[in-house]
Amino acid sequence: MELKYIILILNGLTQSAILFVLGSGLTLAFGLMRVVNLSHGAFYMLGGYLGWSVVKATGNWPLALLVGGLSIALLGFLFEKTMLGRVRGNDLPETLLTVALSMIIADVCLVFWARTAITLNVPQYLNPTITILGVTYPGFRYLMMVISILIAVSLWFILYKTNLGKAVRAGVDDRETVSALGININKIYTSVFMLSGLLAGLAGVLGGSYLQLSPGGDTTILTLSLVVIIVGGMGSLLGAVISSLILGQIMSFGLAFAPQYSYFLIFIPMALVLALRPQGLFGRQI
Amino acid sequence: MSRFRINPVKVTFYVIAAIFLILLPYYVSQYTVTTFIRIIYFGFLSLSMGFLIGQGGMISLTQTAFFGLSGYIIGIFGVERGLMFPWPDLMAIGAVAIMAFLFGMIAMGTHRIVFLMITLAFGQVCWAFAAQNTTILRGWSGIRGIRPFVIYGINFNEYQNFYWASLILFALGIFILWRISKSPFGLALNGIRENPRRMAAIGYPVYWIRVVAFLIAAVYAGLGGILAAYNTGIIMPTTIQLSRTIWVLLTVILGGASFFFGPIVGTFVAVWLDVLISGVTERYNLVLGVVFLIIVLFSPTGIIGIFDQMRNDKKFNSIINFFSPKKEKPNS
Repeated sequence: MELKYIILILNGLTQSAILFVLGSGLTLAFGLMRVVNLSHGAFYMLGGYLGWSVVKATGNWPLALLVGGLSIALLGFLFEKTMLGRVRGNDLPETLLTVALSMIIADVCLVFWARTAITLNVPQYLNPTITILGVTYPGFRYLMMVISILIAVSLWFILYKTNLGKAVRAGVDDRETVSALGININKIYTSVFMLSGLLAGLAGVLGGSYLQLSPGGDTTILTLSLVVIIVGGMGSLLGAVISSLILGQIMSFGLAFAPQYSYFLIFIPMALVLALRPQGLFGRQI
Repeated sequence: MSRFRINPVKVTFYVIAAIFLILLPYYVSQYTVTTFIRIIYFGFLSLSMGFLIGQGGMISLTQTAFFGLSGYIIGIFGVERGLMFPWPDLMAIGAVAIMAFLFGMIAMGTHRIVFLMITLAFGQVCWAFAAQNTTILRGWSGIRGIRPFVIYGINFNEYQNFYWASLILFALGIFILWRISKSPFGLALNGIRENPRRMAAIGYPVYWIRVVAFLIAAVYAGLGGILAAYNTGIIMPTTIQLSRTIWVLLTVILGGASFFFGPIVGTFVAVWLDVLISGVTERYNLVLGVVFLIIVLFSPTGIIGIFDQMRNDKKFNSIINFFSPKKEKPNS
């Protein structure tokens, strides 16, 4: 009986790993650029599909992770440079452009990939069965948690220990002053949007190996990432960590005890946060 | 009394359009009439979203959920409980109004992008509930067998009668919404769109005006949902999925969000594009996505905006102002 709960908690942590990678990308872009990237779910899906093709062609999962992440970063770069940059500062057209992009990506995915649900094959050497203190659990899920923690640490390092991070944090507070100080804010926007795309692509490969990829899945993923950043507070990295931990457990336990409402349940913390603390757990007033 | 000034060209145009629409079932196929019925119920939905965007500056992605809610109420009480007209319909509108009031109370504390995200999440809550609840809402399979009624000997199962009824309701709906948007309430809403803080400073109850606007818009979406449920005979979670909401948002932007008739023009074009393209290619969404991109990048005022620009070539200002609130106007 106890074992069952430990497994559920571990499942929740695995879920949190994906939610964090998803949510941190979205929250970074929102915090600095005030853009809600509504194609985040489509980025995830495209990254996952690209990774799936790489695994199918080469069988090399780490390469798939790399390709999935980098190609979405490139896509983010191109999209930011050619389109988003043209309507800079007007939040609504920016959002609408990301909506249009998500429509296009979702439809293009239908052309190239299966219409049924697919899952990336994880090679055996990445997925050993690990037994810790009598609890047996797939090693790949531990790997996902480790990757997610590594991502969190590197994001923290980038944001708080590098010059780029300083400029980003300053830009969150006051972009006019930052650009007046001679920092090229446009370059920073592009880098952050690329980083956000990278994270979405990575999440796609991770999620596609753990869950599955299917047409129309992009909207579910987008919603999950939105809930993560609404609960955690928009623009807050710590908020993304905490809220993905909470939501992961809710999803895991919900699936076990109330499968009929597993997806519905994750909106309860969102409703509570909106009612009691509208800026999110760690967000500030916008 | 400049409000009642009559422009003969416009009046002639409207009269011809009205005659064309009323006589439609006599000279086109049933398929075309059904397509017009689709335009009408999606027109209600689009009008609902367009009213909030154009008049109030609020992009709400919950409207499709209201559209679906009224359909579900019709399904539950009209089909499964067997209530007669007008009870399921009144209950549908009532349920939509109550839900809109509750959602509005929560969401109206926020503005712009945050509002958009929260309404998106609300819409997804409803979708998730509809998809996962099998006891009342029948999960993925939805509720089938919704049929229009026979009222005073008029059988609305016949598509001509249903078309005329929808047309009358639509015309009435457009007229009322037009009057609302020109009323002091509508003008206050416009003021809030431009600058909520200043409106609050001169004593307008900004929060409540926005809640009421949200409620009005929701009722329009609900009306569209009732017609849609009767026409398609089925209500299921795919009716309210996010891609549908995005499609409606597209119709609003396509037609021109800052124009009252923009959403209707947008719906008309998008539905007919669907009909025409579906014979040629399966990539309807791809085409729409590209059109959407082009509209947002190059012609943010939409189709009506293009015509308007061609007609008097004046700076298309209202939507530009709406879309770029950061740039304060010099006289403000």
